[in-house]
Amino acid sequence: MNTPTLSKTKKTARGIFGTLIIPVAVGLILWIVCAANGVSMFSNAQSLTIFVRGVATVMLTTIALAINLNSGRFDFSLGSVATLSAVISAQITLNAGGNALTMLILSIVFGILLGAVSGGIYVLLRLPPIITSLGVALLYEGLAFTITKGSNVSFYGKTDVSGITTNVLYMLIIIAAVLLITIVLFDRSRFGYRYKALMAGQKVSVNTGIKEVSNAVVCYAFSGALMSIVGYLTATSVGIISVDILNFGSIGVMFSAFLPMFIGGFIGRYSNDKLGYLLAAITMTFFSMTYSALSVKSSTQSIINAVLLVVFLIYLSNEKTVKDIAALKHIRNLFKKKTDGETNND
Amino acid sequence: MDKVKTNEKFSKRQKLISLTPIIGLVILLILYVVIGIIKDINFKAGFEAIVNQSVILAIVATGAIFIFTLGSFDISLGASTLVSACAGGLVYNATGSVALMLLTCVAASLAASLVSSVLGSIFNLPVFVTTVAMMSVLSAVSEMLITGKGGNQIRISGLSGLENIWVKLIFLVIFTAICVFVFEFTKVGRRQKALGGNPVCAKLTGISVKTYAILAFIMAGVGIGLGGFLTAVRASTITSGTASDIGMNIFIAIVFGGMPISGGPRSRIYAAIIGSFSIRILSQILTMLLAAVPGANGIAQIVRAIFFLAMVYLASMNYRTKMLPR
Repeated sequence: MNTPTLSKTKKTARGIFGTLIIPVAVGLILWIVCAANGVSMFSNAQSLTIFVRGVATVMLTTIALAINLNSGRFDFSLGSVATLSAVISAQITLNAGGNALTMLILSIVFGILLGAVSGGIYVLLRLPPIITSLGVALLYEGLAFTITKGSNVSFYGKTDVSGITTNVLYMLIIIAAVLLITIVLFDRSRFGYRYKALMAGQKVSVNTGIKEVSNAVVCYAFSGALMSIVGYLTATSVGIISVDILNFGSIGVMFSAFLPMFIGGFIGRYSNDKLGYLLAAITMTFFSMTYSALSVKSSTQSIINAVLLVVFLIYLSNEKTVKDIAALKHIRNLFKKKTDGETNND
Repeated sequence: MDKVKTNEKFSKRQKLISLTPIIGLVILLILYVVIGIIKDINFKAGFEAIVNQSVILAIVATGAIFIFTLGSFDISLGASTLVSACAGGLVYNATGSVALMLLTCVAASLAASLVSSVLGSIFNLPVFVTTVAMMSVLSAVSEMLITGKGGNQIRISGLSGLENIWVKLIFLVIFTAICVFVFEFTKVGRRQKALGGNPVCAKLTGISVKTYAILAFIMAGVGIGLGGFLTAVRASTITSGTASDIGMNIFIAIVFGGMPISGGPRSRIYAAIIGSFSIRILSQILTMLLAAVPGANGIAQIVRAIFFLAMVYLASMNYRTKMLPR
């Protein structure tokens, strides 16, 4: 009689466990590692700000990457959109004497525009997105360099524009707002249903009348908006926008989001993939904080992150085999126990 | 009758479009000569610069064609070239042997390529993501090799005798000849094209995806090794920025040269050479035109981007689909 309730409770518990296990386990392990070395991830007053900023940056980049990649569209232009939108908005804000909010809003507006242009080029040329995004990355890097004539944009002495980046509450609002908007747009709207239909079956969806072109352009525009916030957060926290990114110097941003995207996708199986991206961002920021606390060299960090990515992918790509192996082991243990019991009885 | 004429017309149009990369290269060459005459440049030095800049890219890209033919994509080629150059440079400094240096360069890049391909093949990982991880690892390894002895560079001296365009051209011609032979006249090339064109059908006919993926990475590894060797010879000082422009430019060069991104039977070895020379000639033209303009590098890159997209658009006009490509 209680079976459905029990089953539901079990399902909920499984969902909560699956959703939280990675960030909690990683956080605990890294906390122990730090404690064993006599350091702490949160050693001073700035640590929380750095942590929340890290979470915001990673989460936004991951969602921006995942929106198009889940539909089979590689987007190499993410980093260049972040830089160019930050350069344009910074130039306007600094020249007009605006504040942090002005720069953030301008960044988002230009991010949407740049993303839409990127999507527009893709749908107009009808070339594979991997090619158009390379062209767009080159174009935007060149534009950022040309606008500033090769000089970096500096925020030295301009504390007005970095007000958001130094305030934990504002960044938490950004994280919550982005998460909410993304969930509503992609999981609870007509646009989102069509996006998912196109993702699952492009040909069938197009034949049933779903407008693929406008859906793709909106995806690029939304992705651009997210990257513009990343550009703003990075620029104002570092205090400088480096335009020395010619020749694909901006595409590294895309690669940094792969691991959190796969982790987020895995967590998403138990709850929601967007929530998964947030938890993956928290997980990755735990790593960054630990590297910083332990003064790990950047080359070692790269190797650890790459190994983590490969190991996680090996698990994801061979999940069934891993489970089968685990199951066989389980059966073998049961068999062994039974045999041991029979021997004892004899 | 009309249908035959229409077909002939379409076939001619297809042929013309498939020749777009070669036509583009010829136009760029003519433009280079015309602008060079107007600007009164030293043509000997100019052509030497083009060859110097193109050959390394062309060699690495030619090897990489084997990977791209399978419809795969390797992002770690630039990082692998740097590791290969670093390893070769260190061995040369320790032994003074050019032969050992060349062998080390090829061995290092082959090892890197094999790790990527074996990881991808055995554990069924997506090749692109595997190479993203490899790129991080190789960049870290090169940093360790460069800073291993406390400095931030590897200095190589005594190789100036090898630093001339004829040596580079010999490397390019020999390696291209081997690649053309393997690609066009052996079952390896044919099967790779089949796998790139229709993997399901190729698998059903008994072609092993794993074997041919590993073979593709081996060919690419040899190209990277030779590129790494020439990089070490050319740059007497290797830093973490050496060969940094090779990685993505390989992709640009291959696509620019008319290689379809999906790989398959339309793949051509010569795409790498045409593309490499085209983008270097274009860069030289832009350098001549924008020499006195502030922020010239940025403008040059914008023009390069537009030119790249326009060329690829023209070259792929035969293959438009109703749905958006992915």
